[in-house]
Amino acid sequence: MPAKEESTAGADVPAAKKPAPAAEELSEEDQKLKDDLELLVEKLAEPNQTDSAYAEYLTTMKNFIKESTTSMTAVPKPLKFLRPHYPVMADLYEKWSAGSQGSALLVQLADVLSVVAMTYLDAGKRDSLKYRFLCDEGSGGVADWGHEYMRNLALEIGEAYQESLGADDAYTDRLVALSLQIVPFFLQHNAEADAIDLLLEVESIEKLPQFLDASTYARLCLYMVSCVPLLAPPDDIAFLQTAFSIYLSHGQLTQALTLAIKLDDEALIKQVFEATSDVLVHKQLGFILSLQFNRFRSPDEDVEVQETISNVKLPEYFAYLAKELNLLDPKVPDEIYKSYLEDSRFSFGSGSIDSAKQNLAASFVNAFINMGFCKDKLVSNVDESKSWIYRTKGTGMVSATAAIGSIYQWNIDDGLQALNKYTESNDDDIKAGALLGTGIVSANINDEAEAAFALLQEYVTDPKKLLQTSAITGLGIAFAGSANEEVLALLLPLVSDTDVPLEVSCLASLALGHVFVGSAHGDITSTVLQTLLEREAAHLNNKFIRFMAMGLGLLYMGKTELIDDALDIIDAIEHPINKTLKVLINICAYAGTGNVLQIQSLLQMCSAKPKKDAEPKPEEGGDEEGTAEAGEAGEPAEAAATEPKTEPDTAPATEDVEMEDASEEPQTEVKKEKEEAAEEAEAEEDDEEEEETEEMYQGIAILGLACIAMGEDIGQDMVLRHFSHLMHYGNSLIRRAVPLAMGLVSASHPQMKAFDTLSRFTHDPDLEISQNAIYAMGLVGAGTNNARLAQLLRQLAQYYSKSPDSLFMVRIAQGLLYLGKGTLTLTPFNIERTILNKVSLAALLTVSVALLDPKSFILNDSTSETTHQLLYYLTPAIKPKMLITVDENLNPIKVNVRVGQAVDVVGQAGKPKTITGWVTQATPVLLNYGERAELENNEYISLSHTLEGIVILKKNPEDMEVDN
Amino acid sequence: MPGGGDFGKKKDAKKEKPKYEPPVEAKFGKKRRKGPDTAVKLPNVYPTTRCKLKLLKLERIKDHLLLEEEFIANQEAFQPTEAKQAEERDKVDELRGYPMSIGTLEEIIDDDHAIVSSTAGSEYYVSIMSFVDKGLLEPGCSVLLHHKTVSVVGVLLDEADPMVSVMKLDKSPKESYADIGGLESQIQEIKEAVELPLTHPELYEEMGIKPPKGVILYGAPGTGKTLLAKAVANQTSATFLRIVGSELIQKYLGDGPRLCRQIFQIAGELAPSIVFIDEIDAIGTKRYESTSGGEREIQRTMLELLNQLDGFDDRGDIKVIMATNKIESLDPALIRPGRIDRKILFENPDSNTKKKILLIHTSKMNLASDVNLDELVTSKDDLSGADIKAMCTEAGLLALRERRMQVKAEDFKTAKERVLKNKVEENLEGLYL
Repeated sequence: MPAKEESTAGADVPAAKKPAPAAEELSEEDQKLKDDLELLVEKLAEPNQTDSAYAEYLTTMKNFIKESTTSMTAVPKPLKFLRPHYPVMADLYEKWSAGSQGSALLVQLADVLSVVAMTYLDAGKRDSLKYRFLCDEGSGGVADWGHEYMRNLALEIGEAYQESLGADDAYTDRLVALSLQIVPFFLQHNAEADAIDLLLEVESIEKLPQFLDASTYARLCLYMVSCVPLLAPPDDIAFLQTAFSIYLSHGQLTQALTLAIKLDDEALIKQVFEATSDVLVHKQLGFILSLQFNRFRSPDEDVEVQETISNVKLPEYFAYLAKELNLLDPKVPDEIYKSYLEDSRFSFGSGSIDSAKQNLAASFVNAFINMGFCKDKLVSNVDESKSWIYRTKGTGMVSATAAIGSIYQWNIDDGLQALNKYTESNDDDIKAGALLGTGIVSANINDEAEAAFALLQEYVTDPKKLLQTSAITGLGIAFAGSANEEVLALLLPLVSDTDVPLEVSCLASLALGHVFVGSAHGDITSTVLQTLLEREAAHLNNKFIRFMAMGLGLLYMGKTELIDDALDIIDAIEHPINKTLKVLINICAYAGTGNVLQIQSLLQMCSAKPKKDAEPKPEEGGDEEGTAEAGEAGEPAEAAATEPKTEPDTAPATEDVEMEDASEEPQTEVKKEKEEAAEEAEAEEDDEEEEETEEMYQGIAILGLACIAMGEDIGQDMVLRHFSHLMHYGNSLIRRAVPLAMGLVSASHPQMKAFDTLSRFTHDPDLEISQNAIYAMGLVGAGTNNARLAQLLRQLAQYYSKSPDSLFMVRIAQGLLYLGKGTLTLTPFNIERTILNKVSLAALLTVSVALLDPKSFILNDSTSETTHQLLYYLTPAIKPKMLITVDENLNPIKVNVRVGQAVDVVGQAGKPKTITGWVTQATPVLLNYGERAELENNEYISLSHTLEGIVILKKNPEDMEVDN
Repeated sequence: MPGGGDFGKKKDAKKEKPKYEPPVEAKFGKKRRKGPDTAVKLPNVYPTTRCKLKLLKLERIKDHLLLEEEFIANQEAFQPTEAKQAEERDKVDELRGYPMSIGTLEEIIDDDHAIVSSTAGSEYYVSIMSFVDKGLLEPGCSVLLHHKTVSVVGVLLDEADPMVSVMKLDKSPKESYADIGGLESQIQEIKEAVELPLTHPELYEEMGIKPPKGVILYGAPGTGKTLLAKAVANQTSATFLRIVGSELIQKYLGDGPRLCRQIFQIAGELAPSIVFIDEIDAIGTKRYESTSGGEREIQRTMLELLNQLDGFDDRGDIKVIMATNKIESLDPALIRPGRIDRKILFENPDSNTKKKILLIHTSKMNLASDVNLDELVTSKDDLSGADIKAMCTEAGLLALRERRMQVKAEDFKTAKERVLKNKVEENLEGLYL
């Protein structure tokens, strides 16, 4: 057996007098081969022979090497036997090249040497490559030596290229040229991955398309695209662009479009449209665009195509889906609470808890479950006096009225009609709700008429703050992602005007952020920054300022290359808010990239110890310090124990005590007590806010981890591990943010490991952590009807039945879980989870940022400020997870499709199935996270490469022939 | 009370007849047999072929792990976990109380209640403390009980059947591939079928085939089947479990199949692993109608083995090597492709190989100068590897009898005669059967 085994096994064998090693072990055949080869080497080494004799020896040797059948476990025998003679032959080459031998002979020897050198893999020597270059380069004889040799060569090329890069241009050019000879070989032999890897090493991926044909491009592109999220910046764009051009040249327009969207380049999208004149294909492209980029104007200005892009037909198709799936019956919140399943020992419902709050929750739940169905049993009651709206109070009525908007989601005409009577209402709350609803109803629809704008326009400057903020928020939701200049003109003055209340200004900035998400709009940037500089410092401590910052951050979503200028200006702001701003801009810019460096800096931010904890605390008992810091300060006993003298009466008020405040110095504590007594004392509240903003960047950094990592599968998994560490070590604000981030990273993807951890957090002693965890559970299960989550939430409803705030959150989570009766989804990814929808992410992020401090926003009972209305910012993220097949006239048709779990087929040999565990269903069907559909038979051809959303089908002409 | 009249009615109706709600799976009894907790498990990396994509993915995982390391190191400097953990442990200990008693979990009632029986025999309905790992609880396991309230405060992990752990080979055998004379093709086959799939799965993946699951070694006695298996065990870094077919035959009904299941379970846990079943004909004979309970039990054991080899569950990284010298008596189902993909025949050695075997065996002996090894074995003699070994031993014994320190050619000659004679006798015996 091969020599290498002997050497490894030798350890156990006592050093016996074993007869001389290899020679004795050989079988006769092997011995003969060995002798032959040795003879050849000897002859070659003999000087003074004719060239033809040498050539003959070399040819024989070459044949020996080529003909050897190798085994998987061992080196081919001829190579093994030649190995000891390699130095001899190398010397020979030196001699020959110095001597008179013909160049043809030299080439031949170099060829053989190059192969034999494979067995001599000394680091850094790369003999194989050296001799390859000494052969005739143009001969194309590279391919003669088989796969293993090519691989070895590719490896050496990669190493050599990296080494000589920048130092020796001529050499790198030769390397590239050689690579281009090797690539076709790889492509012919099903080693697509090798081909791309090699081109990546020599940084010339753009040369790939010339080698491709119709049979190989699909696999290559798939491989390239799946490499993209893991590649460093210049390469990933190059990969995408190469794949784009390949798809475009092979007529795979829908795939090309996907990549164009991913590249975020409008010109490329236009190019895709111009690649064909087929209106039907244009419409299909339109349907894909509508999921992602509905402000695009179709270049040929076809009305119908534009309609598909603008999503105008969405309500029609959604109604069709609802009808086919038999979901038309409206549901009431109680049907999903399923409180009859709760343990009857604990009475639930009425009694001590605040019924207005629960009714508000019910109206949210009602909005979520009946979203888009245009029908419900609570709010759209005809008889106004009995309407559900009057069961809520204060700003609750705003949200309750706005729920009508959600129920008529996308259906602008009917929705506005239903809202009409409330718009005329005398009650400001209801009116404000109707305004908000007007915005909600037209979210994600880019209607020419812009009815929402016309209706909301006048209220933006309304003196009543409630109406004003509702109108602004409404506009933000309605035009999210539309980059509408009119909205800009309307809202920008509000941002810059330092006389309007800060809240209005901040919400305007937030709305603009949503409308111009990812556009890096210069005017807005400068205005927002200017405002931040001009506003007085006290204002910057306000809790709403985070939305101002948010608005700025959203502008830069996905624009990594443009953020530097903005970051420079932010440095000029001296207030601690600048940290928050920077973090926000960074996380938005890098959202979905999976950039490890960014994750690292965010983690460092979270591990940096906040100042006050590092300071010595003389007031506190030294040994108690550890516990206080460890995040258990929220518990009354601990807090009381730490500061026994200064505040003997913390215990009764603990529910409202914010966690980190308990570990603060006594003075703040005392102040806090006062604040609770008199909430109106604004100045002091600001003081408290200051602490908040100073650390707020940490919370946002956590959300940023989720945003950045969600872009690729590995990050998604790994970030959960980071979260568990953060939860372990972090301070209260970090701990509050972690559940939200977990929800964000697996939105609408109820994976066991995520919600298992979350359900543990839901019993945290810090109520705000548990509330966020509850919301996150809703987010994770959004629109899935997941039975396990439903059960967990039911248990929570029971557990928190005495705590109105937590119960409110449980209800919201339940509502989200049954979003659109299970037909909708919140996932920010589209088209087989490949492209990130900025609008969706912006929406999810906004609500999460608001929830960093649940008490002051979503759970706030204040009558004057914007509070739970912010939950409606989720609306732009909501989209149906349907697959509807339509015929050439865009009328829905029923086709059988197989729906199953998607399988990652990248780099697999052969033609593996793309789905597993499928069931056959007739369209329309719902596609859950990670599911994929394919047509059952060949009767139709799909115009889109992926069956998702609305897909146009064409009769397959070939299939017809078979039938006849 | 929320809701108007319409609402209330609905609720009443529900009370009468609550809709059936499928129960949700409990967390109990799902022992995490395979590896660590799913939440901390590293993601799987696809594709498995050698390519940049795989490298990139693995590097990404590495980066994240480094970040974790950095983060923890930083935090640890500020707030050492150990102190915190010690404190938490104290708390748990306090809740547990001293002393504790041991009981058996009889039945799980709901998420936090169970029936346990104490060692005294009495059964109690007790609560399960919240800090007990529910994933480890399953009926029949040993639990720690609070001394007063008898509530469950901990789980005692029982390792798998001690019998199985005995089968795990901790010390690798001395024999290596170098101690095998000849058998080149057999070694190559077993390497391709057993070792390579464990060390280089990507080779098979690239080709788009599933690697072979197992091999069966068969051939006349003394041809080196077990020796080869030992060499495999010596060479591999995978877990090597070895059993003899007869070990699977147990006294009580159902014990054999259970043992069989456990072996494969252990193998799965310790994957990648190699299971070597010697003398498989002890349980793997053809099925036939039998009235004896014992026979039927053996057949059931074999059926379990069939299921383990290629059953419904994917076994993952387990390779099976079987050895027998009566392949013709085995049940065809056992050695069909898919269960045992490769059948490796061991033949009696040819003269060259015989010489090699002799060399190996005599290499540690003191030989007199008159011994000519080449003459000792000729192609005519029908000797197996074991016979040659016996011959060497015999020769050594003869020399020992005369208190010589060297083995002479004479000794070898006598020894060879004896061995051949014994062999003949064996064969003659066969005639009387």
